[in-house]
Amino acid sequence: MVSPSVMLFRQELPFLEWRKGIACQRWKQAAIAAVLLSLTALTSWRCNVDVQSFISGVDKGIPLLGLFFPPEWSRLVGMLQPLAVTVVLAMAATILGMCLSLPCALAASSNLAPPPLRLAMRSFIALERGLPEIVQLLLLIAIFGLGVVPGLIALSIGSIGMLAKLLADGIEEIEPSMLESVAGTGATRSQVIRYAVIPQILPALFANGLFQFEFNVRTSIILGAIGAGGIGYVMRTSMLSMDYSTACMATLLTLALVFFTERVSDFLRARILSGGLLR
Amino acid sequence: MLNVSKIVVRLPNGKRLVNDVSFTVGRGEFVSILGSSGAGKSLTLRCIIGLTKPNEGEITLTGPSGQSYRTANVSAAELRRARRHIGLIFQGSNLVKRLTVLENVMLGRLGHINPVRSWLVGFKDSEAREAMVALDQVNMAACAGRLTGSLSGGEMQRVSIARAIHQRPLIYLADEPISSLDPRNADAIMSILQPLSRDTPVIGAFHQPAVVARYCTRAIGIRMGTVVYDGPAQISARQLEHIYGESSGESFLPHRDLDPQLPFFGPDMQPSLREGVTI
Repeated sequence: MVSPSVMLFRQELPFLEWRKGIACQRWKQAAIAAVLLSLTALTSWRCNVDVQSFISGVDKGIPLLGLFFPPEWSRLVGMLQPLAVTVVLAMAATILGMCLSLPCALAASSNLAPPPLRLAMRSFIALERGLPEIVQLLLLIAIFGLGVVPGLIALSIGSIGMLAKLLADGIEEIEPSMLESVAGTGATRSQVIRYAVIPQILPALFANGLFQFEFNVRTSIILGAIGAGGIGYVMRTSMLSMDYSTACMATLLTLALVFFTERVSDFLRARILSGGLLR
Repeated sequence: MLNVSKIVVRLPNGKRLVNDVSFTVGRGEFVSILGSSGAGKSLTLRCIIGLTKPNEGEITLTGPSGQSYRTANVSAAELRRARRHIGLIFQGSNLVKRLTVLENVMLGRLGHINPVRSWLVGFKDSEAREAMVALDQVNMAACAGRLTGSLSGGEMQRVSIARAIHQRPLIYLADEPISSLDPRNADAIMSILQPLSRDTPVIGAFHQPAVVARYCTRAIGIRMGTVVYDGPAQISARQLEHIYGESSGESFLPHRDLDPQLPFFGPDMQPSLREGVTI
């Protein structure tokens, strides 16, 4: 039998310590909630958010929604061409991004590249990822003018940034002993890359490439609305000219496109990761 | 013939992980390096293949026609030339899992292949046929087209031996080739290695004195980085105790934190908790 004084030291004091910690946590949580709430209130007051315009907007919006229906089915065939532009833009950007991200990823991985090169490439990737696609597009439009070309460049650079980061992380996860076992035959660094690194990361490249394709389809619609052409541009011009039933048609097509690409890419990705498609 | 002369591997803090290790291995020998984990067995083998640079010492490999190669503290190109003639049999799990079995065997001769050809053409059919001979020697020819990642541990180990055979080296280095295998598979691997050693010396790191006594011709015992036994493979119990010592669990591998650990109940703990424990 343990004496009561031992129980006090072994159980009661640690318990009190624990309860003090919990109470302290509660206070912290309450303080954080209060700060967030007051920040929200303060900023909406400073930015002149008024509930009045929200309510009147809803009042106007509901009859406006009625104007969207029925969709303008006669425009369906004419929209297939801009839709194809959007898809081709996304696809070309993804393929270009995949090809160029491979050397970038090799240069950004700590187990292959010398430290200065790695640092330079990692900072380039971080910089690129910090700049939203839309900002890049606006810069590129200033250079190349409106059209598909700046859209393609912006999307490709975006794909490189994302894919190179994911791939470089994948390369760094390859066991060093596997690379050493190939280097131990007298192979050069480029041969180690060819026979140990590339076979190991190829599935990751394609699986991430498919994700990037889905993302690029959605982004190319947004970029289209800004001026890169395609279905996004159709949607924007019809909205501006108050041709709401045409805009509705474009929206439906966009939904169908996004849904379809997601299904296809999920299907292919499952095949790749299970090892069936790439041998 | 391999001549290892007074190699020393030091940690930055001056601790010697490999301390003045010297030995010579000639034709017809099947040498086993014995020692507890972290005694410096693997590190010695890594020095021979040049994956770890010894701080001091010389390692020279001499061929039958008098050509000689050095692996300690030489330029990258000279090291690659030497590695072509060292057949590294590593843990089978270090094979490139996303390549086929036959491709993994062919990797053994990468050092003899121009990197440009590796990228543009790949392996030739004649090389594949030669590799099939090596693969047949370890009884794995039927698995040539399989993906290496789908093999069992024993099968992978045989493929890694086939890779070394295909390399046609002047010496085989085997770093714990059987430590992850069951006794039957271990026997199978040893009875592949033993006939190889008649023409080309084999140096291996092993953990099982009984297996060593049965297959090897000579044993080298390493304890805390120093050679403490060099003689016949049949080792008496007293000599084994001398090699493994009482503190056989102690590790001196470089990745281990050598600083003394803070005691679990340090001075930064809550006083009440510390009191609770001291009772």
